[in-house]
Amino acid sequence: MKPLVSVEHFSKSYGEIRAVRDLSFSVRRGELFGLIGPDGAGKTTTMRTLVTLLRPDEGTVTVDGMDVRKQLKAIRAITGYMPQRFSLYPDLSVEQNLRFFAELFSVPRNELTDRMQRLYRFSRLEEFSTRLAGRLSGGMKQKLALSCTLIHDPVLLVLDEPTTGVDPVSRSEFWEILRELREQGVTIVVSTPYMDEAMKCDRIVIMHSGVALAHGTPGELINSMRLPMYALDERDLVMNFSRIEAASGVRSVQSFGDSLHITTDEDIDEDRLSAALEQTLDRPVRLRRIAPSLEDVFIALIEQGTEHAE
Amino acid sequence: MQRILYLVQKEFRQIFRDRSMIAALFFVPFIQLVILGNAITTDVTNLDLIVTDLDRTPMSRTFIERFTTTEYFNLVEVEEDYQALRGHLDNGRAKLAIVIPKHFQRDIVTGRHPDVQALVDGIDGNSAGVALGYMARIAEQHQAQIIRMDPMLGRPLREARIVHAEPRYWFNPELESEVYIIPGIVALILLIITVFLTSMGIVREKEIGTLEQLLVTPIRSMQLILGKVIPFSILGFVEIVVAMGFIYVIFGIGVEGSLWLLFGESAIFILTTLGVGIFISTISETQQQALFVGWFFMIFAILLSGFFIPIANMPDVIQYLTYFNPLRYFMVILREIYLKGTPLHYLLPETLAMAGFGVAVFSAAVMRYRRIIK
Repeated sequence: MKPLVSVEHFSKSYGEIRAVRDLSFSVRRGELFGLIGPDGAGKTTTMRTLVTLLRPDEGTVTVDGMDVRKQLKAIRAITGYMPQRFSLYPDLSVEQNLRFFAELFSVPRNELTDRMQRLYRFSRLEEFSTRLAGRLSGGMKQKLALSCTLIHDPVLLVLDEPTTGVDPVSRSEFWEILRELREQGVTIVVSTPYMDEAMKCDRIVIMHSGVALAHGTPGELINSMRLPMYALDERDLVMNFSRIEAASGVRSVQSFGDSLHITTDEDIDEDRLSAALEQTLDRPVRLRRIAPSLEDVFIALIEQGTEHAE
Repeated sequence: MQRILYLVQKEFRQIFRDRSMIAALFFVPFIQLVILGNAITTDVTNLDLIVTDLDRTPMSRTFIERFTTTEYFNLVEVEEDYQALRGHLDNGRAKLAIVIPKHFQRDIVTGRHPDVQALVDGIDGNSAGVALGYMARIAEQHQAQIIRMDPMLGRPLREARIVHAEPRYWFNPELESEVYIIPGIVALILLIITVFLTSMGIVREKEIGTLEQLLVTPIRSMQLILGKVIPFSILGFVEIVVAMGFIYVIFGIGVEGSLWLLFGESAIFILTTLGVGIFISTISETQQQALFVGWFFMIFAILLSGFFIPIANMPDVIQYLTYFNPLRYFMVILREIYLKGTPLHYLLPETLAMAGFGVAVFSAAVMRYRRIIK
């Protein structure tokens, strides 16, 4: 089956700033697909292009076989988009917001009650239906925004950092809802800077400064990192960071809370590393071999990426 | 079509959600009328007057009396020497000074022309001009009277026929400036409502991010614009009806001409203001910016409309500039319909000019808007 979303050699600049360069990926039907990257990676530009708000400078972007340059109306009709900033009418009630968007999308009257019931069921917003949207909590606002983008039964759902600034409980609840939606067959493209959320996606593309660094399933990406990795508990992290970095055989060092994650050159084993570190720090060290997390992969990729760029 | 209705409905819901907004809708025209209608007056009354009478004869005293018996002048003091008089003008105790020369009476009787000097504080040029006008009229009346009545003059002269113009002012017989100002306020209210509400209404959606949400719906940009301008136009018309009601109650001034013509001309006028509102929304990211640009536009529109300052009093270059100001035409049209009941065919030039600007500005703004949101 052809992919629902296909992005080929997509580039977009704002004047001098090259927001996205030569990006290619595709999203299969029914997939939960993640655009992962820090601020300025080009996630929002990519998503706004998907929903026809921006035109590609170069490359082709299609949704369900339709070109985002030409078939704007048709793409908008089957797409639901939730921008990063919460954007509903704060001075209209929950129900008025839902009805307003239903009307704009020409949802048939006889189906509307049914759909609203369904959306209320998963968002648990029914008891607040007369409350003004501006008076909802952050998590509830997010759910209402999602409900409004779902009111016309879109095939493709595009969510730009939907959980940024939302409390942890609401975040996991929100992802629960996304998974339910995927089971119902909705294709979802979501962007997030959080690695734990990236792990919940079927496939991801890691972006940095407008360039795709890698794509695949989270598992594939973790396995692709063949570098050995060790954790070192160290109290004087700040003091010794640069000394450890300079030790022989050490490729890179990242701090994670109370410990350091050290990646080494491939020919270095655990004994040789601990010997090198003991020599540098002039005391015994205890290393633990660990499997890299997605975050380690991400950081390693970004470092490689900047090295290449230099 | 259906979608536009929903947008309009949504807009009204948002407007009426805000109780203070409804109060403002009635309060604003009321305050504007009461304050502007009474404050902006070009009538000159109770002008402080100083007289230096160097003659001190029955004739000079009758002349002075002529000033004190009108409500236009308020005699502060009669000084005997010229220096003291200058002091009064300098410290602002008087706006107008009259110097009656020595031999005033003698000169009149012997048929010479005595020159009465008038010194006017010209800081407020408008009032100064009006004051001089009053003064000249009083002097003229005085002359007419002494010629007829003075027993010292010979009989032939007493019977001399003096051609005398007796002006009668139509449409505003008392020459009250509020009569002239008030129809203008109707124009201002319409201007303010349509420019500000339109620009801020659109920018607000940008600010809270709902515009982005609207753009991904199958809605057309034209529907989006109509959904904004229709409710604010309706509101503008409600406002002028409210204002006309207040005008009738407070000032007793009704519309002389056709109400339908007045509404029709208003509809043509707001094409421009709605266009300006839309244009402002395309160059502003926040409501503050929209407010700022809106004020900038309105100050020029109002000052160059002939609302306070008659256009004929402006320098030539500025006068040409006013031809590019649609409010200029609307001011004329409103005053004509309101005070004189002028029918459409006399107002055609203004109407056509206004319509030309309206169509041009509105379509340019809409085109720019559509290009920007694409």
